Amino acid sequence: MILLDYHNAVIEETLRQPIIGLEPIALDSKIVDFDGVSYRISTTPQTKSVITFSLLMQCFKELVQLGAKEMLQKEYGSYYQTQIEQGYDFSLQFDLQKLPEDKEEREALVKKLSLIKRDLLAIPFEKAFEQQAEFEKEENKNPPIITTTPTTKSAELMQIHYRDLEAIYIQAQNDRVTVIFSTLFKEETDRIFGKVFLQEFVDARRRPALQNAPQVLYSTKEPPLEIRNLPELQKAEDREDLGYVTFVLFPRHFVKGEVRDKTISQIQLFRDYLHYHIKCSKAYMHSRMRARVQEFLKVLNRAKPDLPSVEKKTITGKTMMRGA
Amino acid sequence: MSNTLRPYLAAVRSTLTAALCLENFPSQVVERHNKPEVEARSSPEVVANALTISRNENERVFIEPSVNSIRISIKIKQADDIERILCHKFTRFMMIRAENFIILRRKPIMGYDISFLVTNFHTEQMYKHKLVDFIIQFMEEVDREISEMKLSLNSRARLVAESYLLELYSK
Amino acid sequence: MSMRLPPVIMDNGTGYTKLGFAGNNNPSFVFPTVIATRDSSGTGVSGGSVTAKSSGSLASKRGIEDLDFFIGNEALSNSKTYGLHYPIRHGQIDNWDQMERFWEQSIFKYLRCEPEDHYFLLTEPPLNAPENREQTAEIMFESFNIQGLYIAVQAVLALAASWSSNKATDFVLTGTVVDSGDGVTHVIPVAEGYVIGSSIKHIPIAGRDITYFVQQLLRDRNETSIPPEDSLKVAEKIKELYSYVCPDIVNEFKRYDQEGDKYFKKFQGIHSVTGQPYEVDVGFERFLGPEIFFNPEIASSDFLTPLPEVVDNVIQSCPIDTRRGLYKNIVLSGGSTMFKDFGKRLQRDIKRTVDGRIKKSEELSGGLIKSTPIDVNVISHKKQRYAVWYGGSLIANMGEFYSYCHSKAEYEECGPSICRHNRVFGSMNG
Repeated sequence: MILLDYHNAVIEETLRQPIIGLEPIALDSKIVDFDGVSYRISTTPQTKSVITFSLLMQCFKELVQLGAKEMLQKEYGSYYQTQIEQGYDFSLQFDLQKLPEDKEEREALVKKLSLIKRDLLAIPFEKAFEQQAEFEKEENKNPPIITTTPTTKSAELMQIHYRDLEAIYIQAQNDRVTVIFSTLFKEETDRIFGKVFLQEFVDARRRPALQNAPQVLYSTKEPPLEIRNLPELQKAEDREDLGYVTFVLFPRHFVKGEVRDKTISQIQLFRDYLHYHIKCSKAYMHSRMRARVQEFLKVLNRAKPDLPSVEKKTITGKTMMRGA
Repeated sequence: MSNTLRPYLAAVRSTLTAALCLENFPSQVVERHNKPEVEARSSPEVVANALTISRNENERVFIEPSVNSIRISIKIKQADDIERILCHKFTRFMMIRAENFIILRRKPIMGYDISFLVTNFHTEQMYKHKLVDFIIQFMEEVDREISEMKLSLNSRARLVAESYLLELYSK
Repeated sequence: MSMRLPPVIMDNGTGYTKLGFAGNNNPSFVFPTVIATRDSSGTGVSGGSVTAKSSGSLASKRGIEDLDFFIGNEALSNSKTYGLHYPIRHGQIDNWDQMERFWEQSIFKYLRCEPEDHYFLLTEPPLNAPENREQTAEIMFESFNIQGLYIAVQAVLALAASWSSNKATDFVLTGTVVDSGDGVTHVIPVAEGYVIGSSIKHIPIAGRDITYFVQQLLRDRNETSIPPEDSLKVAEKIKELYSYVCPDIVNEFKRYDQEGDKYFKKFQGIHSVTGQPYEVDVGFERFLGPEIFFNPEIASSDFLTPLPEVVDNVIQSCPIDTRRGLYKNIVLSGGSTMFKDFGKRLQRDIKRTVDGRIKKSEELSGGLIKSTPIDVNVISHKKQRYAVWYGGSLIANMGEFYSYCHSKAEYEECGPSICRHNRVFGSMNG
């Protein structure tokens, strides 16, 4: 597995029986997702046929400002609940008796629910891509007069604090959308491994096959220009372990449709992808070291002379065994 | 570069062979104690002069002989952060398993990455020349292993970055 | 995180792995503990010979071949092109390279959580070597950077799971665990959270043997409608759907003879190849299957001690001051203890032996000594099937769980050796 899945397998598994199979079962599970998102899928003690699906995520407030509620209302319609389960950010409710008749539709519903975190985090990206399109349209209507100094228009910077100390910053400009991740490695090993990985992200575009890939920039300590003025970063400026990864997306990377969806899914998993691979590398190093240590042991054990194994008999004729 | 390796190892080998001349030596200070003198340092007259063999400023071996034990400490080449962390991981991994590596010290001495402690009991049970072989082979291979680990880390990183970026614009 | 995320519970058994989050009633995933890798030398090759082989195959490759693998059901469905490996043997981790990768995918693909944000509870068989705990800790903390780790003995968790039963009066960690899975049945005495290692007994009769026995019965009766290629599956289904434990085999036969219609069942199956439906009569195997626990001689010729007797022997071999507690709290765990009335029968049979013994000793004393009767309680509960996992989920959901864990900071301070010992749950508040 090189790429991470976009969907949450636990949600899919949990809802398969009740929603796709329409078999009511008593449910009460807490499920998590990357970046501290947690869900609760439950039925009430009275009736098993009504399933409540609630979600809690750190950056939900920020997403609401960008239109998360509208998106949920549009996507989930009557499932969307105004009464929110305590301790969660929003709730959806599914009555098994009122689900679509068509099995495929129900399958699609479960799939959509398993992608709900992706869809929520997609909001700022969608918005930025639209802003960029708008800028481009305007520009085409009245092209700038002085071409030597192109005026760069930029939309308001969107900030999504999706983890405690890490955030995504998204900004649309007239010809591009910039996505900046602030990254934090808790461990020194991770920091060094992470640096190697990020350097390769930066260098990857040199290869002919990847010439059209988005440009990636990486800097430590010094925040990139776009976000330099943020007060929260000025405090953190002297932090050694903080880094910034910038993706510069051009319109060809977010052509509406499949390409755009894929880009969004992929880019929001960037942090998880990076950390997953850092961990895999460490696991790989472990297996290498295990093999090497075995070999060293063999060499060392050569220094032990083979003691001739003399079978010792006790007086009754039994073989005497020394603890091996 | 590698032509300095052979004389370096040869020097270590002959020093070790000479130094591994150990005999049983009970403590002169405490009755019925028998401690490796190079560690206990209870009587200075039984600890011989220590000696450093350096290949360059980053790689050296420090050999401390005494009457009943010798301590060999190795500084492994570390050119950058990655090699430093890999070397640290590798030596740590080995030292956690020190139980199996009879002659491995659980902690390196200050300024070195890994230390071995050979006592007269070890030389009585094991072939002396094979012990030396082990140390030499360890020195040879640890460098190679670390640079291979570094290379594989780099190529992993490259593949990972490529597969990710490929997803961002291909259909 | 502003809010603590639930700890992850991973119960890696020889046969099946149970994964999920603390506080839930059921594991989120249950799949075979199997990993499918590219090197063809799989299936059955013991992992003991990792050294030479994997240094040749794994360490020499300079790519990400080591990420090309599947686990669980996906591994089984890819077994044509990949080699299957079972990283756990007899409950203990046998191949650490494979286990590390197995965990890697369990966490990132199935549970989909960032291990850095979670505490973990892992399980181990009784009498596990402390070195294995060290290795586990090394992987968990160094590769996955988990926040904290607790390694619990499976039998102790099974005891904890019985707290949910209404029969259980207080939270005790003394009792006898009868754990019967697919391959083997264990009887494990636990006193105050510690396994009494010297008294553990294994019985080579478990779920698989019942299935074979049912299959044999069907075959002997000439149930010709069963397609031969499905016969094992049918036997398994019949075992799971219709079997129960009867109080007395002779009476049961009589009842079947008198009013057969009430007891005989019909099993409907569909031919796996042709898709034709067929019917099988289900008769005596309904109670004969599980009966092999109580009368092993009907199925096997090499193991003849009935389960109640084994349990009694185990308890009798334990220190005398623990025996009352062990009789009082006999806890069932594992899928093969799920038969209806299994607990009742076990309790009755043990009680009979115990009472008989007391009576005899009173007679021998010539009526001078009067003993207080011994309580025999067999506790069955709803969560029996995944009792170990569920016990873990209960324990990890308590607030004080975190104080029993070894945290990352402690690991960093002392190294993997701190995980050699895991505090017994409940030991801290006295």
